[in-house]
Amino acid sequence: MKKTQTDLLQGTLDLLVLKTLQSGPTHGWDIAQRIQQISQDVLRVGQGSLYPALHRLEAQGWIASEWGASENNRKAKYYKLTAAGRKQLSAETETWRRFTGAVELILKTS
Amino acid sequence: MLNKLRLRLRALFFKSKMEDELDEEVRFHLEREIEENIARGMTPEEARSAAMRSFGGVERVKEESRDVRGVRLLEEVWQDLRYGARMLSKKPGFTLIAIITLALGIGANTAIFSVVNAVLLEPLPYRAPEELVLVRHIYETKGTRSESVSYADFQDWRAQNQVFADLALFRVASFALAVGNDLEQIRGANVSANFFELLGLNPIRGRAFLPVEETPGGERVALISHALWQRVFGANEELIGRQIKLGDQLFTVVGILPPEFKFPFRLETADIWTTYSILPVGMMGRGARNFQAIARLKRGVSPQAAQAEMSAIARQLEQENPATNRNLSISVVSAHRELTKDVSLTLWLLFGAVAFVLLIACANVANLLLARALSRHKEMAVRAALGASGRRIAQQLLTESLLLAGAGGALGLLLAAWGIPLLLALSPQNLPRINAIGLNGHVLSFTLLVSILTGALFGLAPALKVARPDLIESLKEGGKASTASARRNRLRAALVVGEIAVALVLLVGAGLLINSFIRLNRVELGFKPENVLSASLNLSPRKYPTGHERIAFVEQARERIRNLPGVRSVSFASSSPFMGGVYASFGIRGRPGAAHENEVAPGVFTITPDYFEMLGIPLLRGRPFTETYDKGSAGTAIINETFARQFFPNENPLGKSVILDVNREKDSPREFEVVGVVGDIRRVALDGEPGPEIYMPYQQSPWTFGQLMIRTEQNALSSANAVRQQIRSLDPDQTVPNSDTLENLIFRSIMPQRFNLVLLGVFAAIGLLLTLVGVYGVMSYHVAENTREIGIRVALGAQRRDILKLIVGQGLALALIGVVVGLAGALGLTRLMDSLLFGVTATDPLTFGIVASLFGVVALLACWIPARRAAKVDPMIALRSE
Repeated sequence: MKKTQTDLLQGTLDLLVLKTLQSGPTHGWDIAQRIQQISQDVLRVGQGSLYPALHRLEAQGWIASEWGASENNRKAKYYKLTAAGRKQLSAETETWRRFTGAVELILKTS
Repeated sequence: MLNKLRLRLRALFFKSKMEDELDEEVRFHLEREIEENIARGMTPEEARSAAMRSFGGVERVKEESRDVRGVRLLEEVWQDLRYGARMLSKKPGFTLIAIITLALGIGANTAIFSVVNAVLLEPLPYRAPEELVLVRHIYETKGTRSESVSYADFQDWRAQNQVFADLALFRVASFALAVGNDLEQIRGANVSANFFELLGLNPIRGRAFLPVEETPGGERVALISHALWQRVFGANEELIGRQIKLGDQLFTVVGILPPEFKFPFRLETADIWTTYSILPVGMMGRGARNFQAIARLKRGVSPQAAQAEMSAIARQLEQENPATNRNLSISVVSAHRELTKDVSLTLWLLFGAVAFVLLIACANVANLLLARALSRHKEMAVRAALGASGRRIAQQLLTESLLLAGAGGALGLLLAAWGIPLLLALSPQNLPRINAIGLNGHVLSFTLLVSILTGALFGLAPALKVARPDLIESLKEGGKASTASARRNRLRAALVVGEIAVALVLLVGAGLLINSFIRLNRVELGFKPENVLSASLNLSPRKYPTGHERIAFVEQARERIRNLPGVRSVSFASSSPFMGGVYASFGIRGRPGAAHENEVAPGVFTITPDYFEMLGIPLLRGRPFTETYDKGSAGTAIINETFARQFFPNENPLGKSVILDVNREKDSPREFEVVGVVGDIRRVALDGEPGPEIYMPYQQSPWTFGQLMIRTEQNALSSANAVRQQIRSLDPDQTVPNSDTLENLIFRSIMPQRFNLVLLGVFAAIGLLLTLVGVYGVMSYHVAENTREIGIRVALGAQRRDILKLIVGQGLALALIGVVVGLAGALGLTRLMDSLLFGVTATDPLTFGIVASLFGVVALLACWIPARRAAKVDPMIALRSE
């Protein structure tokens, strides 16, 4: 029931996470915050899917993690984009653009 | 890729560190969220609960984060294994019974497979064994069937065929090897020079035979086995080129064969090898079929093509040599198939039987697991409620099953390791390649595979059942959902019916063999074998050139042995019962057709006159042989009942003459007047009908070999040494091989039947025992499960007897279905073992009836204790118990 929804969102979430990390390493909480801010509160990332996504991306080698000090000086896990991740980001961006463009075309005709 | 691997390895080996990090990461997130919430003006409590809410289930997130590490399966398996081991050790009774049950099944399978593998499946241990074929002669007439080949025919085959890459000849032989001052009888063979090359075998020291060494008159050379080299010659490296004494001749040792070389054709040990050049010319003629031929097919030539060409050659040889080759055809058969044809039915039968035992074991363990699954229902429901998926629970249960199967397999392997030597001790001499039997890689893989399959087989049903738990029903107190249990009951009942049926088939099979064996042992031998020792004499013409000398030696030996303490009588014959004999064609004086043209060749024996009396063979008509015969006196013969019936059906055989050409002495008779008729005896096998036989007095037909038969007061075998000493004191060249009692010879002749009987009997007994346990278990469980119902019945006035009848009736109903199914199965399957039976048909009603009623008794026994327990149910306790 819920699962289909997650599946649908999964690809998108990966893209958003990768894009967010393009501007520099940061931790999970910050990633969620930024996505929410930049999308002007349209996109809310459930933490329930964020952390599994981060671990999955790391397992795929697109992002890497290391422990660092947070802005208020606490121990936090920072994620950064790897070279493979950068490639993946541009590929996924391209796919996304093509996909939304196509959907847009169809929407215009009606 | 490397990154992934690193992460996975890290996840696997630094699990707790990864867990801490995950905790830390989640904690950081929550704290950050709480701070933010407080900043927005919430109280700390509100902030915390809001953060928790927005995060979702903390544990679920962690679980999903763990999932993506991709080592989950491994982790889970490890977890399941530990958990399974813990659960199994908590119920040692259950675990022990399950493991022992499985060990019996898997052990029996391992043991039998080790035999099947070595005998039937492993290729022969020679180069390109699939190319090896045996080439044999077949007489096209019925009656005698000789498969041996003559040297002269072999030479023609070798010259004319286009289908064989090579063709070799071999013949079993026996050598008297001089070891110090003693002589030792050693088994060996005479072969063509190319024999070892054909098999693809190289001596480990020295060389194989050279082609020139095949021709008579050259230097006498021999190869010896590795075993003989070790045992007699102390692995002397300088043996090559030295001479050994075989009989009264010297042979130069030219090579030593590799230790792994085993000669598989009937003859398991052959320690001395010579070429056939040492054989007398008389043995090399076209009519003298003394050899076996083995060939290697040319690459790409099928056995069928070889058969076609050899058939053509046989026809041509028949035309060229009508006197010797009439009705002779040639058959080309795969060496491996020919070697195993006698035993393959037996072995497949036993393999089927152990598969049945394993099925029964599986059914039992599946039943145990099903019963246990019920008591674990709540455990599973709790796990499911805590988020375990159905797959996960099934995986857990399957892991436990595999764990059980693994333990059963390990114990079974021990059982097999202990059982295989027993099995070999029991195995008949016709079991080829016996020395290749043992636990090797193939057998171990088989055991592993069987264990896994077994685990999957008995574990699957319970696992699938529990994988779909009805949460609400199960979590309710006392949630023994009656419908679910009914369904499970049906499955358990089906398993019990199945195992009863399978066990019944096994027992019917064993019963038929027992029945055959009893009949076999009741066969009238026609003679009295008790306390008779048989010892071989070799009266080689080199040492005893004339018949007179041989007769004198035999008389001396008899005289000496007769004077030994405890000896009653001593007689001599060309062969003892159950030792085979000489078969020769014959003619009858005054009948059309010359000698040697009868299709049936009777057994021909030369005996001392006291032979019949000594063995207790009755003289039916006429007179016995007289003690002395003058030189040149007219030949006399005594025939057996079958001979008289077959060749003199409506006339008096006494006074008729048979013509036999079996004596080498010029002054020995060729024509024998029948003076008596004696009773038939079983000559080679208990299940073989007696054939026609002719006896001649030794004084008229002094052959060069024979058996002294010594009847003693008691235990004939104990006088074997004294007998050997007496013979050797007369002639130190005698080795006196094959000393054994007639009872032992008879016993050995039924070794194959005993082997089948004991093994199938043991397997059937295991099957029966397991079935007894299985029925008992299911009925006990049934009673325990229905305590409440029984309590209600008792409360409503049911008597103890009613309850007993109810439970026993339910058990017997199951048994009855099982018996009916089993009988039907047995009717279909026992036909396969028809050729192994003696005196009973495969559908012997008596055997079927006894086995079926035995199962009734067993089922009654198995139900009785649970039924009594049910009858003792106290309604007050029963109704309160749930």
